Amino acid sequence: MRRIKWRIIQLCITVILFSVANAQQDSTAIADSLLVELQRQMSPQLQPQQAVARPAPSTNPDLSAIGDFRSSYTSTASRKVETYLNELELQVTSVVDPYARAEFLFSFGKDLTTGDLGIELEVGTLTSTSLPYQLQLVLGKFKPQWGKVNVLHPHYFSFVDFPKMISNFFDEEGMFMEGLSVSWLAPVNFYQEFVLEVGRVGSEPNASLVQGNNDRLLYTTHVKNFFDLSDDATLEIGLSALTGPNRYGYSTGMAGLDLTLKWKPLQFNTYKSLTWQNEVLMNKARISGMDIVQTFGAYSYVEYQIERRWFIGVRYDYSGLTDDEQQKEQAGTLLLRFQPTEFQILALQYQYSDWNHAKGISQVTLRAIFGIGRHAAHAY
Amino acid sequence: MHISPRNRKEAKMKTLCSWIILAATALAVPAVPESMRAGDKLKVVTSLPDLKSIAEFIGGDKVDAFAIATGFQNPHFVDPKPSYILKLSKADLFVTIGLDLETGWVPPLLNSARNSNVLKGAPGYVDASTNVPLLQVPTSVNRGEGDIHIYGNPHYWLDPAIGKIMAKNIFDGLALDRENESYYEENLKKFNERIDAKAKEWMTTMLPFRGTKIIAYHNEWVYFEQRFGLKIVDFLEPKPGIPPTPSQLAKVISEMKRENIKVIITSPYFTTESADLVARNVGGKVVTLATSVGADESIKTYVDLFDYNVAKMVEALK
Repeated sequence: MRRIKWRIIQLCITVILFSVANAQQDSTAIADSLLVELQRQMSPQLQPQQAVARPAPSTNPDLSAIGDFRSSYTSTASRKVETYLNELELQVTSVVDPYARAEFLFSFGKDLTTGDLGIELEVGTLTSTSLPYQLQLVLGKFKPQWGKVNVLHPHYFSFVDFPKMISNFFDEEGMFMEGLSVSWLAPVNFYQEFVLEVGRVGSEPNASLVQGNNDRLLYTTHVKNFFDLSDDATLEIGLSALTGPNRYGYSTGMAGLDLTLKWKPLQFNTYKSLTWQNEVLMNKARISGMDIVQTFGAYSYVEYQIERRWFIGVRYDYSGLTDDEQQKEQAGTLLLRFQPTEFQILALQYQYSDWNHAKGISQVTLRAIFGIGRHAAHAY
Repeated sequence: MHISPRNRKEAKMKTLCSWIILAATALAVPAVPESMRAGDKLKVVTSLPDLKSIAEFIGGDKVDAFAIATGFQNPHFVDPKPSYILKLSKADLFVTIGLDLETGWVPPLLNSARNSNVLKGAPGYVDASTNVPLLQVPTSVNRGEGDIHIYGNPHYWLDPAIGKIMAKNIFDGLALDRENESYYEENLKKFNERIDAKAKEWMTTMLPFRGTKIIAYHNEWVYFEQRFGLKIVDFLEPKPGIPPTPSQLAKVISEMKRENIKVIITSPYFTTESADLVARNVGGKVVTLATSVGADESIKTYVDLFDYNVAKMVEALK
């Protein structure tokens, strides 16, 4: 009996060993064939055959719509709470041909006083892409490259409102122009761009400039200097100047200086960033044969990204008026911004402002920016 | 000598006309890229350092290459700094990954570069994705699904076999420089041979781990996954581009426990808090792989990229 048991155990061991040996042989064989197959797949000739059909190319322009909804409380207003869709921007952009590209931007906005909905063509430009000698030509209606903030559209500015110097000297959304813009990249070892623009102020006059009834045109110029201080930090210094007709039938001249320092760690640039931006505007307007008004405006803001989707900001504003040396506005602003994706921004802003140190105005605004479609990427 | 007023007027007109003709002629002369002059190196600008590495392999000492992004940067979110415009303004060749990967930063750079030689459609514009067999090409696109790329997943350079297609595309772009065509062709052949030789080594090393289930932070490893036979079961991001949420992390923890998954792969530009939290809960490991050349100091070339990633994976999976 013991012997039979021993025989059975021996037989089992033999079967198991045989099975294991066979299994090893099989797996090695499989591994070898798999390896050969994988190596065969690395052959370049096979790759294109595996290509999946791609979406058909289209010559349709890129189309996007951006909504700007606001809800605000203003301490001194007769109607303290407002809630409204401030603006809808419809942008159409495309390459025109090998020599140019075009952009159109329509703004659908509501006049808070009248309640009327208006449509305006804010931007309509043809931009050259193939001029030699580092030149670029833009013609049409555009925001002049004057200073740092003016060129932006409100949805791309960190704060809910533009700095007071922009709204007091130009308009709530800055200055627009219809004409020509020529820019040139200087052949130096850092980024230096010269811009010269000539035309008439955009169809709507602003606080300082009008279209005028004579041949006096609006001229603006800007020099942008950009330096990489390190991989993570950059410095931009700009100088601007303009001269153009004012509402008194004379000329207004302005000079501006902007300085922007940005810090963004390369590796974690989606998590942390800091921007310190400053602008000064000096205004000299002749308002009669005898009177020249000299005023100025300035702002400084810091914005810090505390987390991937959260930003905080603080801004100080000082601004005179273009034609009155006695009026001065100051404002302090706090901002909290939440950006769940690139297509949606929610901002909560508190602002305290006053004129000539009189009783101040407190305003709290909640803004939601939301975009759909393919919106052209913004410059740095 | 007396000049009559009429002659003076004519002379003025002639001078004016001469200036206009001179200016028009100057503008009409196509700008010859500086580096296209005999003996000069071809200036190549690439969006990512992987493309630069391949361009340097194919172009050798005939090219001077510059990559805009660094290897440890998120390739979706590179800042379009004006200093890059300067580089592009002087480039003879621009090589892009394409497929909308760089849509947030390459168009504003190209639009301001004033260099028609490297604009889309020009001979100096190279889309490295040409003929690449794409994965995850969506049949419908809805931003409710997160950052979906309409042409397909654009992280194709993480498959070394596709590196050979990228190299061929760069070689085609270097046709600008006909004088050195045979030199580039020889280098392309050497590059393909090098990849094939290394591929055998990488595949053999990774063979024991075929079919191993893992978790990834972001959906950018599909080409690497397919090539090396791994199986990415889920992502820490609930949808592409959306940061991890507590409910998503809880779901992943549950999946990892259920399926005995021990490895989470992530990228250098994501913080590791979420991945660490999940790993702690399941007794797993977080592996930061290199998404591009230069992500780690030791990764100098496109081949080094896979040496590094394969070694990292083996270390985590064994």
